Amino acid sequence: MKRLFSLGAVVVLALASIVLAQTSGQATLRTPAGDKPFTYVQQSGQTYVSASEVTAALGGTIAPDSNGYRITINNVVAAFGPDTRYGVVRDDLIEMPVPPIAIEGTPYVPWQFFQGLLVKTSSMDVAWDANAHVLLVRPLAQNVISVQPSVANVEGISKVVLTLSAAAEYTILKEQLAYVVRFKSPIQPPFAEQTVEDPSISKLSFAGNDLRIQLTAPDVVADAYKLENPPRIVLDFRKAAAPIPGQLPAMPGLKQQELPGIRTIVIDPGHGGKDVGASGADGLLEKDVTLAIARKLAASLAAKTGARIVLTRDEDAVVSLDQRTALANQYKADLFLSVHLNSSVGKVAKGSETYFLSVEASDELAKKAAETENASAAAAPVADPSASDLKLILWDLAQQTYLDESSRFAQAIQEEMNAATGVANRGVKQAPFKVLVGATMPAALVEVGFISNPDEEKKLTSDQYQTLLVDALTRAVQRYKTDYETRIGIVQPAPAAPAAPAPATATAPATRTVP
Amino acid sequence: MIFAPHPPGSLATLGMTVFVAVSLLAGACSKKNNITANINAANRVAVRPVRLYYESEQLMLVAETRNIALPESPAAAIPVVARELMKGPATPVGARLFPPDTLVRGAYLLPGGTVIVDLGGATLSQGWGAGSHHELMAASSLVQTLAVNFADARRVRFIINGAPAETLAGHVSLSRSLSPMPQFVDPRFR
Repeated sequence: MKRLFSLGAVVVLALASIVLAQTSGQATLRTPAGDKPFTYVQQSGQTYVSASEVTAALGGTIAPDSNGYRITINNVVAAFGPDTRYGVVRDDLIEMPVPPIAIEGTPYVPWQFFQGLLVKTSSMDVAWDANAHVLLVRPLAQNVISVQPSVANVEGISKVVLTLSAAAEYTILKEQLAYVVRFKSPIQPPFAEQTVEDPSISKLSFAGNDLRIQLTAPDVVADAYKLENPPRIVLDFRKAAAPIPGQLPAMPGLKQQELPGIRTIVIDPGHGGKDVGASGADGLLEKDVTLAIARKLAASLAAKTGARIVLTRDEDAVVSLDQRTALANQYKADLFLSVHLNSSVGKVAKGSETYFLSVEASDELAKKAAETENASAAAAPVADPSASDLKLILWDLAQQTYLDESSRFAQAIQEEMNAATGVANRGVKQAPFKVLVGATMPAALVEVGFISNPDEEKKLTSDQYQTLLVDALTRAVQRYKTDYETRIGIVQPAPAAPAAPAPATATAPATRTVP
Repeated sequence: MIFAPHPPGSLATLGMTVFVAVSLLAGACSKKNNITANINAANRVAVRPVRLYYESEQLMLVAETRNIALPESPAAAIPVVARELMKGPATPVGARLFPPDTLVRGAYLLPGGTVIVDLGGATLSQGWGAGSHHELMAASSLVQTLAVNFADARRVRFIINGAPAETLAGHVSLSRSLSPMPQFVDPRFR
């Protein structure tokens, strides 16, 4: 009897394995417009949906090609192929847990493909109800918002950045030894509790819709503000009596900002902490030289321009690329300069070069901003398409202005660097550099020399040579500042001054003769 | 790994054996198949020349032409060419740009011309210390190599170890696809 029972168990398990290997059936696509049936398949713990049937149910079309399938829904084109769990929509990745499959010639995608597609291109989200076999398409606003916190200490300010999957409403409550960010929507935290090594913050913990930021002392106070693209909440913590960089009473210095001209300049020493950047044959680290130059440059600019100077880091610490730009935006900086050392596979490369953001990267930023605006508009009870179009146009205009000004700024830097160092003119270039994406002010990245070149590495360790570079960068900022302030009419042009240089373009790099 | 001993001929062993066998049979009988439209094209291989881009002493990308065995299907050939690039130059035409331990975990051509290239290896995983120029040229060398050899490959989206990454070495944004950058290519090899 016992043997028979065991044999029966084996048969049941075997049958179960067949069922687990693949089951299929009819499911329901539930949208605000109604229900439509489609075929689903469950295999190896994943739920796949018929790409053709779900696309048709969403009012789209699907077309095969030799590399996979293209799906078009509401004029948005997405694609997926075999073997990879990433699809694309516009220029964004759609992440799936496993690659799509084909069953009897019909493509099936993990249901998360449609979730990624709709979340990235509309104000809708998708959820799979495994019990009811319903693929639910619902407004994004009702969904859970993922919250990704990061903590960094910048210039003595403990900065907590909460990156959100979508814009969210929240309130901030002060307790004796904590600040609580209370979200009005459900949130998805990445962890329950995490200790933090920071002078002002000891722990982050999530409970319900609350994020509790535990303080190290009761006299720690916070300023909070929002950023977009992506949506972020930033909280700056500091001891109540601690001076603010720039010695201004309030952040980010709105009174100063109301004045036109170059009033606030953010200097960004590249890399830091465990991110050492490039290194030289003799062991010189990029992060150390960029910090040394940035500190000297900050002192020089403060003395010679009268502007408020802010460093994105003033110590050997990791600061994320996003945080560097966010800091510049937070201070409503008028100019952003990232300082780096270059490297090449060969040892002969030398000289300086200056970059500003490439047009494609700027376009991408504009597109993302437009998507965010469109998603917000679509989620609103009464959407006004013309309003979001207007915002897109204004954003485009603003970005183009920043690019033109960044080009002028980069041109001034390159010319002064060439004149000061007398080495090869590597020119002004455009590139999709992460630290320049999202800066809402003229921004440039200067590579002051090649650390991979032994001669330049040696020079870069010299205090005298660093001062030479700082003087050149100071002159460049002064030149750009005067030029800009003259053009906007707050500085009268000097009678004998030479004409301001025309803005550089990608095809017209710096041309000043190297002495 | 340590396995606990089982009594010989026990039902548990028999049951497990049957279970595994039936599971394998079920898996083999399942209707899953590859989504690739043209399996034959993917499997046909022919030797043909490819152009691989490296950095010259003038700090521009230059091409080395090499004959390699390639599947006829571009989707299948792209990872082969990407891996060939990582082997480095066979002639003194230029220098390898990616770290020597870089792995091409996969490269996938999607409809519309985006190639998703999944890179790995110790250096890229643990933090590559390269300057802007080096990083920009490395990324460009792979984008240029794929775009020149495959008409369908118009842009490259890099991921690292199977997941989206911010940059390769702290500068070039990987949050969007990279298109060929002809300004970094020696005009003789564009």
